[in-house]
Amino acid sequence: MSFLSISDVSVSFGVEDKKVEILNNINLDVAENEFVAIIGFSGSGKSTLISLLAGLQLPSYGEVALEGKPIVQPSPELGIMFQNYSLLPWLSVFENIELAVKKVFPSLTSIQRKTHIGKYIEMVNLTPAIDKKPSELSGGMRQRASLARTLSMEPKILLLDEPLSALDALTRSSIQDEILNIWEKEKRTVVMITNDVDEAVLMADRIVPLTIGPNASFGNDFNIPLKRPRNRTSLNSSPEYKKLKKEITKFMLNMNSENIKLNKKSISLPAVFEKSINEIGQEALIA
Amino acid sequence: MKLKHRIYKLIDISGLQLFDPVARLFFREEPQVQIKRITQFIVIPILAFGLFLLVWQIMAPRHTTKSGEVPKPGRVLDAAKGIWTFHNREKEKSIAFIASSDEANKILDNAKNRLEEIESSLIPAQDETIANLEILEQEWRDKNISPKIKKAANIEYEINSKQNSLKTELEELAGSIKANDKNAKEELVLRLEKLELQKSKWKIELAELKGTISILESKKYPLLERAQRKKDRLEEEKQYLSVYIGILTKNRNSKVEELNKKLVDYSNSFYAAESTKVMSSAKRLVRQKTRIEKTSESQYSAAKTLPYQTLRSLLCVFTGFIIATIFAIPLGILCGLNKTFMCAFTPFIAIFKPVSPIVWLPIGLIVVGGFIPDPENNALLSIINKLPIFSSFDVNPAFLASAITVALCSLWPTLVNTALGVSSIDVDHLNVARVLNLRFRERLISVIIPSALPLIFAGLRISIGVGWMVLIAAELLASSEGIGKFVWDMFNNGSSDSFAQMFVVVFLVGGIGLLLDRIMIVFQRLVSFDETAPSV
Repeated sequence: MSFLSISDVSVSFGVEDKKVEILNNINLDVAENEFVAIIGFSGSGKSTLISLLAGLQLPSYGEVALEGKPIVQPSPELGIMFQNYSLLPWLSVFENIELAVKKVFPSLTSIQRKTHIGKYIEMVNLTPAIDKKPSELSGGMRQRASLARTLSMEPKILLLDEPLSALDALTRSSIQDEILNIWEKEKRTVVMITNDVDEAVLMADRIVPLTIGPNASFGNDFNIPLKRPRNRTSLNSSPEYKKLKKEITKFMLNMNSENIKLNKKSISLPAVFEKSINEIGQEALIA
Repeated sequence: MKLKHRIYKLIDISGLQLFDPVARLFFREEPQVQIKRITQFIVIPILAFGLFLLVWQIMAPRHTTKSGEVPKPGRVLDAAKGIWTFHNREKEKSIAFIASSDEANKILDNAKNRLEEIESSLIPAQDETIANLEILEQEWRDKNISPKIKKAANIEYEINSKQNSLKTELEELAGSIKANDKNAKEELVLRLEKLELQKSKWKIELAELKGTISILESKKYPLLERAQRKKDRLEEEKQYLSVYIGILTKNRNSKVEELNKKLVDYSNSFYAAESTKVMSSAKRLVRQKTRIEKTSESQYSAAKTLPYQTLRSLLCVFTGFIIATIFAIPLGILCGLNKTFMCAFTPFIAIFKPVSPIVWLPIGLIVVGGFIPDPENNALLSIINKLPIFSSFDVNPAFLASAITVALCSLWPTLVNTALGVSSIDVDHLNVARVLNLRFRERLISVIIPSALPLIFAGLRISIGVGWMVLIAAELLASSEGIGKFVWDMFNNGSSDSFAQMFVVVFLVGGIGLLLDRIMIVFQRLVSFDETAPSV
């Protein structure tokens, strides 16, 4: 039996004739300590999927189960990290995490709690901003605080809902590295939703594409057999990495063109050409 | 550097953003920008207010009412000073009443000297000035007013005589017409009609002339008026000083001393009394003892001055506001949390919110009156009157009814805002609570209330503004001591000064309303977690 399983799950809204199928009969098994990335276009039902995993929403049909037990309500075991941080704005970073830790580990003494919180704030490199309010933090710092809060609950499974989509490219890559580092140190099952192929290939063990919704389902998965620990700079020149990226991008683009053929809703994409690292470097220099 | 930013922050939090550019200019931070801001937010408002005062100064004397001229700004300022002097004098009197004999003697000399000065030099001197000014006034009247009156009277006379001559002319004409002269008769009717028309026109003209004359006659020579006011003030002070001296010479201590002397006599005669008189002299002794006790606790019953009334009004508005808050916030939270409760409560909000304080007050008076039939011996009132702040304000049923009226009218903004704040919590924040499996109480305390707090305080701010506005009307109607009662007394009093004193109240009420609003803004700033400042 797999650690996390999604079996025959469908989600639909509305009644009878106005029924909209968001997810249609999807199946997925995630092994313990596996890092799975689910990749899809926007509007393909990714957020619905993560809500199912977090127990914030229940499937219309089928079952989502963790260690064989069905997920029916949210709990600190299902550590979800929201797309828009969800920090409570009237609490400082420390207090935000404290609220979670107090609830999840009620037996800790105040000193133990303090060290526990401090450990996770240190882990995301946020110690200097420990007493700041979210409004005083940058987007990247807020997301780190959110990550620290989720990690501090020591969840069985980490659910990342497009955690980095609201960040600028530089912050994004540094937090990607951080998450990767933390994951490699403290192995944990991770399901990450993303729309970024680079991000998925860099971080995940396995990539599951989600077809274009409504009526979305999973395509064939891609295993990412790249060695760990992964390093952004060395990977960029690795032919295997390039090949995987190319394959997945091609698959996603094909999916879109199939959609056009099937007269389904399509998503117009800008023309994308592959650039060599040298070219990118030169552009960066010019900029 | 640090001090600078601390000052800026203090200005920001204390709700005095007005002075932010001044502070920044002081630290030489972008002087040009600051000067522009100062012009915009400080200089222009001051100029506008100055313009308002100017218009007032010019327009006021043109409007004469039954209670005299509309007071000019200067008169209003004088009235404010008068109110303050009166308040201080009442305070002095109550101090004098309880002063020990040494202290009393000390102040007594000063008071007597001042009285002497006023009686023997200041008032005669002022009388002289007035006499001189009266001569000048006569000249001024002869030169400026009398010709105008004469002119108006002349026109009046002309119109009257013209009217009379036309009347007699027509009467003569009528007498000369023959019985069968149809044309002449018709002519007469026509002329009569014309005359009637003319008469009605003259009537209006005459009324106007009379108005002009009475206004001209009531015009006073400004210097004389001022001198007379000064004399009035001196007379007032003289009267006050004689009362003050009276109190000082016969104040509580001296009364007690006198009574004690008598007590000694009484006790001597008691011990010397024969058996037939023992009982009656014992009674006399006991009576004297209780009299001393009562006297030594007595206080001067000071008149209720405007500062006292203002403090009482503030106490009343806070009482009402706190009652309103106690009900509004929990109800608002319930409405925000529960759709069913909200639906059940909506009709009450919709029906009771627009009800005017004028309607609530009589109901409040009746209800309070029902619960407190005998205010002198009521348990609740005596408890309230023993509370720290309330004890100095003599809380009565009218006070409670006013406070309840304030509560009923100021309840709604807080209630509606709280419900809105609770029901519009960010879904993300609620998701956090769901993920953490927070129980209802934890969710309420650590997520729902903090999240709704800025809106709750916005509601409280509106509520206290409404409450303050409502209170003055409530007090006026309930004749509960307070600013409203003061206005009503002034209205009924109708002396030349009371009109100006009502204007003082306008500025006082406005100023306090502004202050309350500012205080609430400070609270709102302290609890709001987003960077956007609330609108000023």
